[in-house]
Amino acid sequence: MVSDLGALGSQFFVGLSRAMILFVVCSGLSFVLGVLRVPNIAHGSLYMIGAFSAYSITKLVAGPAGFWLALILAPLVVALVSLVAERALFCHLYQREHLMLLLFTFALSLILGDLVKIVWGAEYKSIMAPDVFNGSVSLLGASIPRYNFFLLVVGPLVAVALWLFTNKTKMGKIARAAAVDREMVGAVGINVSWVFAFAFVLGCFLAGLGGALVAPTVSITLGMDHNLIIEAFLIVTIGGLGNMWGAMVGSLIFGLTQAFGVLFWPQFAIVFPYMAVVIVLIWRPRGMLKSVW
Amino acid sequence: MSKSRFSRTVLFGLVVTLSLMLLPALSEARDIKVGIIDCYSGPAAVYGNDALNGFKLALEEINKKGVLGGKIVFTTRDTKFKVDIGLNMAKELVMRENVDVLVGTINSGVALAVSDAVSKQEKIPFIVWISKDEKITGADGHRYVFSTADNTAQGGKAGGVGLAKKPYKKYWIAGDDYSYGHAIADSAWRNLKALKPDVEKVGESWWKIGEPDLVPYFTSIMAAKPDAVILCTGGASMTNAMKALKSTGMAAKIPSWIHTAIDHAVLKPLGAEAPEGVLGTIQYLFYYPETPENKAFVQAFEKAYGNPPGFPAFNAYLTAHYIADGFRKAGKIDKEKFVDALEGLKVKNPVGGTVEMRACDHQAVFPMYFGVTKKLPNYDFVVASDITTLKGLDVLPTCEEIKQSRKK
Repeated sequence: MVSDLGALGSQFFVGLSRAMILFVVCSGLSFVLGVLRVPNIAHGSLYMIGAFSAYSITKLVAGPAGFWLALILAPLVVALVSLVAERALFCHLYQREHLMLLLFTFALSLILGDLVKIVWGAEYKSIMAPDVFNGSVSLLGASIPRYNFFLLVVGPLVAVALWLFTNKTKMGKIARAAAVDREMVGAVGINVSWVFAFAFVLGCFLAGLGGALVAPTVSITLGMDHNLIIEAFLIVTIGGLGNMWGAMVGSLIFGLTQAFGVLFWPQFAIVFPYMAVVIVLIWRPRGMLKSVW
Repeated sequence: MSKSRFSRTVLFGLVVTLSLMLLPALSEARDIKVGIIDCYSGPAAVYGNDALNGFKLALEEINKKGVLGGKIVFTTRDTKFKVDIGLNMAKELVMRENVDVLVGTINSGVALAVSDAVSKQEKIPFIVWISKDEKITGADGHRYVFSTADNTAQGGKAGGVGLAKKPYKKYWIAGDDYSYGHAIADSAWRNLKALKPDVEKVGESWWKIGEPDLVPYFTSIMAAKPDAVILCTGGASMTNAMKALKSTGMAAKIPSWIHTAIDHAVLKPLGAEAPEGVLGTIQYLFYYPETPENKAFVQAFEKAYGNPPGFPAFNAYLTAHYIADGFRKAGKIDKEKFVDALEGLKVKNPVGGTVEMRACDHQAVFPMYFGVTKKLPNYDFVVASDITTLKGLDVLPTCEEIKQSRKK
């Protein structure tokens, strides 16, 4: 019984920490969807660039300092890339219909994917978490990687920071207002174009942060973008489009159903999160929480 | 003036015609053309390039002596890991470049398609050098297809034979949910069960290919407390699996066997992060066996390409020697005679000794090394240690089994 409890506990923690990475990435995607109404398929590519940048930074700066630096700088690199993309391309396209934007961001994801291949090459890359996070902690007889505990701290921190930003700062309030009625925000004399640029860059920054956070736990490789983006869109949809807490709820549903699915029915574990998505969408077609669309 | 120009033109014309007429006679001893289709872009390029380097190194040595008075020359085509492109490239090499032998590739889908639609149809010898699908020389084998690569039947059997010597009873099976993963799992389990009937399977888990986070899978396996785990993964997932084995502490608690886990192409990028205590099988290690032949091969390879050879280079080295010795034995550049010559042919093994091309299924017979990952002071990455050698014929399906599978 103790071992069963341990198994449940370890799956819960591991699922929770996976949900945190998903949340960081999806909150960015959801933010861009909410404020800009852009279904950004290239979000996954920016996440991949975040992971590859983290690799380069840890190669330049050895030791644990490299990891912490990567965690800060890699999202900034991604933010810079997204700023260029926004000012050069996206800002001309916001008025287009969604299908056009979907095709455009898909094209961008292919271009960014090839750029990554040109800059970093095709080999698998791998980085190490600092020694503090290496190894595992024993909990109720089950062992859980230390790094996953770190993720459990980072996820809520990001959520709180985002909440504070959107609710307590002027910029955040304007962004939220633009999400509801962009004409009105423009009519009261606010430069909507820059509000959009800022919102886009912030969303992409979160993709980069997700990439840097995931880097020590996976092999950094081409194609990691496509794996993520489908999950991210599902999460944002079941959570409620454009709703940050919805992204949190969606990530938790996805991460936990996967972790428990693996425990209870391992042969068909792949199916569980997707089944959860189907159930949620039948039950609440517009997502768990209020969608801003 | 015009007369002299006329005569000069005539003279020039004569020389050209004469030399054209002489050309076929002179090229009686012509070069042997090898067409290589493989993946030289994307993540799989690491393996494609390693094989190509091994092939080039072997040719340098072979062409010094020459084959039937000529040389072995080659052209490469990039399949981009796609079946349709690979198939078109193979056809182009056969129809337009008139290659004598086709060689390739890492993608099992490409290998099977080319084997069936080009090699079998056009009667062109095709030597597969990386892809591991057992159907290539098993159920879908035919007169013109050969393999110098290890295959899933062999890899799985090597795991089964190796694990049967260990005391473990309760096994968990987990892996990538696609053909390679399941093929390895089936073969390993079937062979283990045959050699040690009291083993018991306590559970299975399968994840989608490219699954980024294997931690929940491993924590749930640990909760089931099996004695050992048969892990069936490869490519990018292999690195993920190794990382998760280390971070969950599973490597230290439950032994896992993964075919090719002791490949340095897997272990080197991980550096000190690679877990210790993981069991693996492979047909080539640049540091084992420590024969003078292997040392010389590794030294020459490192000098030419800057890094030690991997198993694709080993397979490709054998391939080059099969082509050279095959044509030498055939006595002329004739595809049918070449196929006959290859059957049962023994060529030089870069680690010493010889490797035989089994006549019944056209599969090269080499030993497999079964080892466990360990940090050793003389390497800055984790390597295989406590290596046992499993004899080539012990880890291959028998000729009888091959016959059965081809009847179906």
